Amino acid sequence: MTAETMTKRELPQGVGMLTPGWLAFFAVAIIAAVAGLLAYTNQLNQGMIVTGLRDLGTVRGAPWSLYVAFDVYFVGVSFAGISTAALIRLFNIEKLKSVARMAELLTVVALLLAALAIMADLGQPLRGIVNLFRYGRPQSPFFGTFALVIAGYLFASLAYLYITSRKDAARLAERPSRLRGLYRVWAAGYKDTPAQRQRDRLVTFWLALAILPLLITAHSSLGFVFGLQVGRPGWFGSLQAPAFVVMAGVSGIGHLIILAALVRSALRADRRITIDVFAWLGRLLLVLVFTYLYFTVVEVLTTIYQASATEQGLSDALLTGRYAWIFWGSIASLLAAVAILGWMALMRSWSVGWSVFAGILVNVAAVGKRYLIVVPSQTHGQLLPYGTGSYSPTWVEYVIIAGLFALGALMIGGFMKIFPIMPMEEGE
Amino acid sequence: MTKYAMAVDLDRCQGCRACMEACKIENNTPQAVFWMYVFRTETGEYPDTKQSFLPRPCQHCNNPPCVKVCPVGARFRREEGIVLTDFERCIGCRYCEVACPYGVNYFNWRQPMAALEAYELDFTDPDTSAVTGGVIPSYKNPDLDQLQGEEQRLTAGSAHNVGVIEKCTFCVQRVDKGLQPACVETCPVSALQFGDIEDTDSPLSVYVRNRSTFKLLEELGTDPSVIYLGGSPPPSDVREIERPLTEVTS
Repeated sequence: MTAETMTKRELPQGVGMLTPGWLAFFAVAIIAAVAGLLAYTNQLNQGMIVTGLRDLGTVRGAPWSLYVAFDVYFVGVSFAGISTAALIRLFNIEKLKSVARMAELLTVVALLLAALAIMADLGQPLRGIVNLFRYGRPQSPFFGTFALVIAGYLFASLAYLYITSRKDAARLAERPSRLRGLYRVWAAGYKDTPAQRQRDRLVTFWLALAILPLLITAHSSLGFVFGLQVGRPGWFGSLQAPAFVVMAGVSGIGHLIILAALVRSALRADRRITIDVFAWLGRLLLVLVFTYLYFTVVEVLTTIYQASATEQGLSDALLTGRYAWIFWGSIASLLAAVAILGWMALMRSWSVGWSVFAGILVNVAAVGKRYLIVVPSQTHGQLLPYGTGSYSPTWVEYVIIAGLFALGALMIGGFMKIFPIMPMEEGE
Repeated sequence: MTKYAMAVDLDRCQGCRACMEACKIENNTPQAVFWMYVFRTETGEYPDTKQSFLPRPCQHCNNPPCVKVCPVGARFRREEGIVLTDFERCIGCRYCEVACPYGVNYFNWRQPMAALEAYELDFTDPDTSAVTGGVIPSYKNPDLDQLQGEEQRLTAGSAHNVGVIEKCTFCVQRVDKGLQPACVETCPVSALQFGDIEDTDSPLSVYVRNRSTFKLLEELGTDPSVIYLGGSPPPSDVREIERPLTEVTS
C-alpha cells in the first residue's frame, strides 16, 4: 500500500486528499490572490494615485473608502468565532459544536484580512508596522483597531483555536500519515489524559468568557473610529459603537452559515452539520438583523426630523440622492433576509439553501452599509463651501479587495486540507 | 507665554489669492495642493448677488481633532499653538484628514519625483530657458529640509514624500526665525495678521481689539487659532464662483 492511499484511508474529513475539484479551487484562489498582490505592488510603486482615493477639501474626493469599508467588514465577520464558542459554552448548545472550529477559523482569517486591508490603506505601510509599536497612542480611536482588534482579539482567538484543536491533533498523531510530524508538533505533548482534558475544559471556558467582553470592545472601538468625529456629518453619534457590534454579528453569523453549508456539501457532512445548526444560526441572525434594522430606523428618523443643514444634505444623498441605490438596496437585502429567516422560523422548517441565501443577502447589505458609513460623509459632508465631492474605485482597489477574499478562501481551504475542520468524533 | 494666532480681515480681503501663490513658493507645494486657500463665493440670485472671499489656512486649533486621532503622534500641537506634522513619523493613514472639519489636509498620492516635476518649474527646459536666458535656477526652499524648533522634527514642507499627509505649517521655518508666514508677508492689503495673541500689546492683539470676530465652525469645539474679522461665516446656500484645480495634470 502506498503512502498516499494510506493517508486517504487514515485521515478523516478529506484531510490530505486533493481531488481535482480542490486543485481547481486552489488554482483559482491562488491566481486571484496573486493578482491582488500584483495590484498592491503597483500601488506601492506608483503611490496611491492609482486608486480612486483623493483629498477632501479643494479636491473634493474621499481619502478613505473601499479599503477602510472592507477593513470594517472583515473585522465584522470575525464576530462569528467567539460568539459561537460562547453560545456553546454559556448556553450549552451542544448542537453547534460541529461548527465551533470553523467559526473560530473564520474569526482568525477575517482578522488577518482586516489587518491586510488596513495595510493596503496605509500610505507608508512599513512605517506603519514600526511606528505603531514605537509611538502608538491609546488616545487615537485607531489604537483600538490595532491593539484590541488585530492584536488582542486575533491572538486570543488563535489561542482558543489552538487549545481546542490539540485533542484532535494528538489523536491524529497516533496514526501513520504524511502529516504525522505536523500533528505531533501541533499536539505538543497533549495525551488526552483526564487531567489534561479537565484543564483544557477550564482554560477554554475562561478564555471564552474573557474574549466575550473583548468582542464587544473590539467591535465598539471600530465604531468609535467614526462615532467620535464631530467634523464629519453622519459619523458623530453614540449609536455608532453598538450598531457596529450588531452589524458585525449580522455579517459574521451570515458568513458562518455560508461556510457551514459549504463544508457540509464539500465533506458530505449532513450527519454532523445537522439542520439544527442552521436553525440556531438562522434564529440568531434573525434577532441581529432585527436589531440592526431598528438602529437604522432610529438613525434615519433622528436625521430627517430635524438636523443641521449638512446632516440633512448627507441624509438626502443617502435616501434619495447619489447613494440611494446602495442604501435602499442594503435595506431591501436585510428585509428579504428577515422575510426568509422569519418564515422558516415560523414554519419551524429550515432549509440549508434558503439559509445560505439569507447569509449572502445580509453580507451584501453589510458591505453596502459599510461603504455608506465611510464614503458619503466625506463626499457629501463638507462643512465649508467646497461643494459636493465624488469617489469611484479604480481597478486596483477592486483587484486588491478580490485578492483579499481569495486569500481568505485559500487559508480556510488550506486549513481543511491539513486539519479536520470539524471536531473529530469518537472513533472517527 | 507666546500663543500664535492669525487674524483674517474679511473687510480687507479682495480675493486676489496672492497669499496662495506666496504659500506655494515658500513651501514648494505640489500641484493641486493649497495649504492656503481663498474661497471666492457668491450668494443670492442674479442680479442680486453678493461676492465674498474667505482665506482658509489650517485653523491651528487649540483642541485639534487631527492631533487627537493620529495613531502615532505624527500630528502634534506645539505649546505656542502651531499644529504640525512630523513627515518622518506619519504612516499615511489619513485619519487626520477625515477628522478635520476644515478640509486643510493634503495627502501625497504619488512618488516624490512625479510630484517634483509637477511643482518645480524646470528652468533647463528649452522653452523656459528661452525666456529666462538660463539665469534663473530651479527653486527649492532649502529651509524645508531642516529639522524645526526645540522638538527637532522634520515638520516644514520637506520633500512632499509619497504616502504622508501635509498641511499649512504657519510657515514654521519662518516663524521660528522671527519672520511672518509667507501669506501674511505677501498680502497686498494687509488682510492677514500674525502674532502673539496672549501678549495684549502685540500688533495682532491691538488689531483684533474692539472688532467683531468669529471663528470657523466654532460650534464644533475645535477652538481655532485663526480669527476672522468683519464679514460673517459662510451661509449654507453659498456657492463657489470658480473651482480650483482638483486633479494633478502631467
